[in-house]
Amino acid sequence: MVSLTINGRVVQAEEGEMLLAVIRRMGIDIPALCHHEAVEPFGACRLCTVEITKESWNGWKNYVTSCLYPVEQDLIVHTHSAKVIELRKTLIDLLLARCPGSPEIREMAAQYGVNETSYEPVVNGDNCILCGLCTRICSRLGFNAISTVGRGHTKEVAPPMKEAPPDCVGCLSCALNCPTHVIKFTDVNGKRTIWGKTFELLTCKECGATTITREFAEALSERRGIPMEYFEKCDACHRKELSLTMGAVVGWAREEQS
Amino acid sequence: MKHDFSKLPEIFDRYPSAPESLIAVLQDIQKEYNFLPCHALEETAKRLGVPLSKVFSVSTFYNAFSLNPKGEKVIRICVGTTCHIRGSKQIQQQLENLLKIKAGETTEDGKFSIEVVACVGACAMAPVVAVNDEFHGGVTVANVKRLVKTNKKD
Amino acid sequence: MRIETISQLKDLRKTNLERMNKHPRTVLICCGPGCLANGAKKISDEFHKVIKDKKIKGFSVEALKETGCHGFCEQGPLVIIEPDGVFYTKVKVRDVEEIIETSIKKKEIVERLLYTNAADGKTYTDYKEIPFYKLQNRIALRNIGKIRQCDIDEYIAIGGYEAMAKALSKMKPQEVIDEVIASGLRGRGGGGFPTGRKWATCAKIDDEPRYVICNGDEGDPGAFMDRAIMEGDPHSVIEGMIIAAWAVGSHNGYIYVREEYPLAVVNLQKAIEQAQALGLLGENILGTGFDFDIHVSRGGGAFVCGESSALMLSVAGEVGEPRAKYIRSVQKGLFDKPTVLNNVESYANVPVIIAKGGKWFSSIGTAKSTGTKAFSLVGKVRNTGLIEVPMGTTLKQIIYDIGGGVIKDRPFKAVQTGGPSGGCLPEEKLDLSVDFDTLTQAGSMMGSGGMIVMDDRTCVVDVAKYFLQFLIDESCGKCVPCREGLYQLHALAVAVSEGRATEEDLDKMEKLSENIVIGSLCGLGKSGPNPFLSTIRYFRDEYLAHIRDKRCPAGVCRALITYKIDPEICNGCMACISACAHEAITGKKKEPHFINQDKCDKCGACYAVCQHNAIEVV
Repeated sequence: MVSLTINGRVVQAEEGEMLLAVIRRMGIDIPALCHHEAVEPFGACRLCTVEITKESWNGWKNYVTSCLYPVEQDLIVHTHSAKVIELRKTLIDLLLARCPGSPEIREMAAQYGVNETSYEPVVNGDNCILCGLCTRICSRLGFNAISTVGRGHTKEVAPPMKEAPPDCVGCLSCALNCPTHVIKFTDVNGKRTIWGKTFELLTCKECGATTITREFAEALSERRGIPMEYFEKCDACHRKELSLTMGAVVGWAREEQS
Repeated sequence: MKHDFSKLPEIFDRYPSAPESLIAVLQDIQKEYNFLPCHALEETAKRLGVPLSKVFSVSTFYNAFSLNPKGEKVIRICVGTTCHIRGSKQIQQQLENLLKIKAGETTEDGKFSIEVVACVGACAMAPVVAVNDEFHGGVTVANVKRLVKTNKKD
Repeated sequence: MRIETISQLKDLRKTNLERMNKHPRTVLICCGPGCLANGAKKISDEFHKVIKDKKIKGFSVEALKETGCHGFCEQGPLVIIEPDGVFYTKVKVRDVEEIIETSIKKKEIVERLLYTNAADGKTYTDYKEIPFYKLQNRIALRNIGKIRQCDIDEYIAIGGYEAMAKALSKMKPQEVIDEVIASGLRGRGGGGFPTGRKWATCAKIDDEPRYVICNGDEGDPGAFMDRAIMEGDPHSVIEGMIIAAWAVGSHNGYIYVREEYPLAVVNLQKAIEQAQALGLLGENILGTGFDFDIHVSRGGGAFVCGESSALMLSVAGEVGEPRAKYIRSVQKGLFDKPTVLNNVESYANVPVIIAKGGKWFSSIGTAKSTGTKAFSLVGKVRNTGLIEVPMGTTLKQIIYDIGGGVIKDRPFKAVQTGGPSGGCLPEEKLDLSVDFDTLTQAGSMMGSGGMIVMDDRTCVVDVAKYFLQFLIDESCGKCVPCREGLYQLHALAVAVSEGRATEEDLDKMEKLSENIVIGSLCGLGKSGPNPFLSTIRYFRDEYLAHIRDKRCPAGVCRALITYKIDPEICNGCMACISACAHEAITGKKKEPHFINQDKCDKCGACYAVCQHNAIEVV
């Protein structure tokens, strides 16, 4: 166990934990747009930056991203010092210059008192903030269908050769986790289209609702050893069946007891 | 455009079939074909066990690679600091006007490409212009015309 | 022909030295980057051809040596006749026959090819007397320009690989580390981190395997020291790496070479093969039981890959996006294993430190910056070239005593050090000692060793804009402060250069810079605002002139200057009309020419070609 001070309060943490986890546990709210529990911390948005120091540092301070910085004994952390707030304000201002049309960024900027960007709006920007969540989650799931393309200011997220990605299974993990909802998809007439690729959606044999794509089902089936029949029912119908089964089990248990 | 992809296995055999060979393999493909054909990227992904999206990501991250064919003669203008203060911008403009293309483009007949390079390490001879592997130092606005003329002849 | 023991190495040294001494008189043809770009190969070919044809008694082609960078690039192509040190400058192919007839067949001098010092009018025969050379102390560059480049036999003949033999056979790994710590050697790539301490930390980590990497990604525009070492004396790097590997317990090494240096890749590969053939790399080196081998890893062309974590990712075949440094690469580096990463010049120093001792090394230079440093002295300076001086030499000594001052005697404006992460130092700072800490305190940094001299016709706003453009192009794009922040900082610098900015914009730039420095993930971003911060610190007036007066004092920023032809001086030679790519100049032969301001692009081509000073920049 490690003991450190955050915003004046002394807390305990596990060795190897990142500061962000401890900060969140304390109920302190700091933004972390490129952070997701399912993937390794990335340190791209820099919004979770905090000010750290130690008594032995004689007043010297450092600024680190809390998502990536492991807890240290006797560390003194400030999540909302003047310099940190100013940094966050600048970062969100810069993001607003990049995506002036994004409601999510506008909302976050308003919280920091930035209603219009103080910088030149970026000429060919879209609302992608390059947090990398989509590509990292896709990689974590083992599909690696999309990646970042290019470098620097003109970097973008795209499928290989900017054509329909051969490895995409239409699971929607990228679109559903995008902080600015940039990745578009359509589910129409039993077909799903995303990244320029069209998939067939499976339907539930019980209620007729669409579930997941055939490709996603086949990938899960292959990797996890789940029989394909499982995907012939939607989640709601699975739960219904489970509740009936559990109900029967509870019934038998009561019978046995009495 | 037809390409002879029979050369690919020979390129792959030069390196271990593992992810760390990716950049070296792509460089050899770039040298062989003067760009990175899509088919070559797909084969590379298969052979090295790297996802295609990653191969594409690496192909577009580094300056050495191009997804479009480069000219037979690639004219690289050094725009490093020393060359910059010794007038590389004027030379770039002169070349762009002479060949009627901008840096990053290739002439329609596929003979010339113009590229800018941050520094080739021949700073004492600034400004430097390289035509393929041949380096020329002390280039001026005046003698760059001659350089293009000589290269047009071959 | 493998060498199996240390005494065999000693025998080989003797044999090679005897063979070298069979040719007491040698011709060295400099094939460093500058001379190569100036036709050195053709000169070398001519020498070989003529010597073969002439069949001179006592002199064969074996006495001709293509060497690495001799240093005085401004005077190249260089040809040196040893052992007298006869120094021929600006040699052309048609001079070769005369040199052979005069200086090889007889022992006379070709006077017109000698170097004359513009400062005092003196002509020198022996290069060692020339101030440019006399004031230097070449340690890392000790062999370059002296021995045949990429030749292991010559390298061994002059004592190469003996330091390695000493370390492997007579010193324990910890003793090697102690020696390097005692030397005070600090990273020559620019970071200035104590090398010995880095090795010590790595050696203590309980994880295998370990890697030793050489950073040959010299990306700073204006720097070519590492290129000269990799091409001219690759064995010094290999030897340094073997010693490092022994110290930290590594069996696998990589030399990461940037894509823009194809010749360095070739020479390093050749040198590695030579060393492997002799058994100096590979298994059971010299019978000591130590295994170590080196692979050359080619970069793909990205400045950001000079950053250690990006470099290691690039070696692993990934995109070079840096990682946060909270877990050091000595602990988790290449493939997440303990890794020592050092610069080319750092490794080149190691064999000498082991041979002569750390104490000897620390007696040179200053207390906190020991030893020497190689610099590429370039820009608007008379004597451009590759130099090496003890740490603690002043900027003034380097630029004036060695460099010969500013070309055409124009006023000195600033010297830029440290590449895009560094800064510009003005005339008032010329007495500063060149060492890691002094330069950093002054707002610049040592960097890898690029030293660019600027005169009054260099605009600092233009320089800041130039470096910011470079950094935007090279940014990996991962983190917001660097990708978006430097982009906006550049946009503001452009506004200043075009006369559109206000004084509030300067405040905005300073505040933005501060946040980019705190917020960026890696060194590229963190030091990205330096070109702006250092120039605004020392040249605020120049920024204000652009803003308040809409004027560029140096006559560079296009939107704020006008080119005018003085009809009194113009003699109508039409040179500017040919040079103009925009058909903006009119005029008949022998009549004064006229620039049409509406068509003029302000490119400066006419100004560059006018031999009569008839064009002025207003």
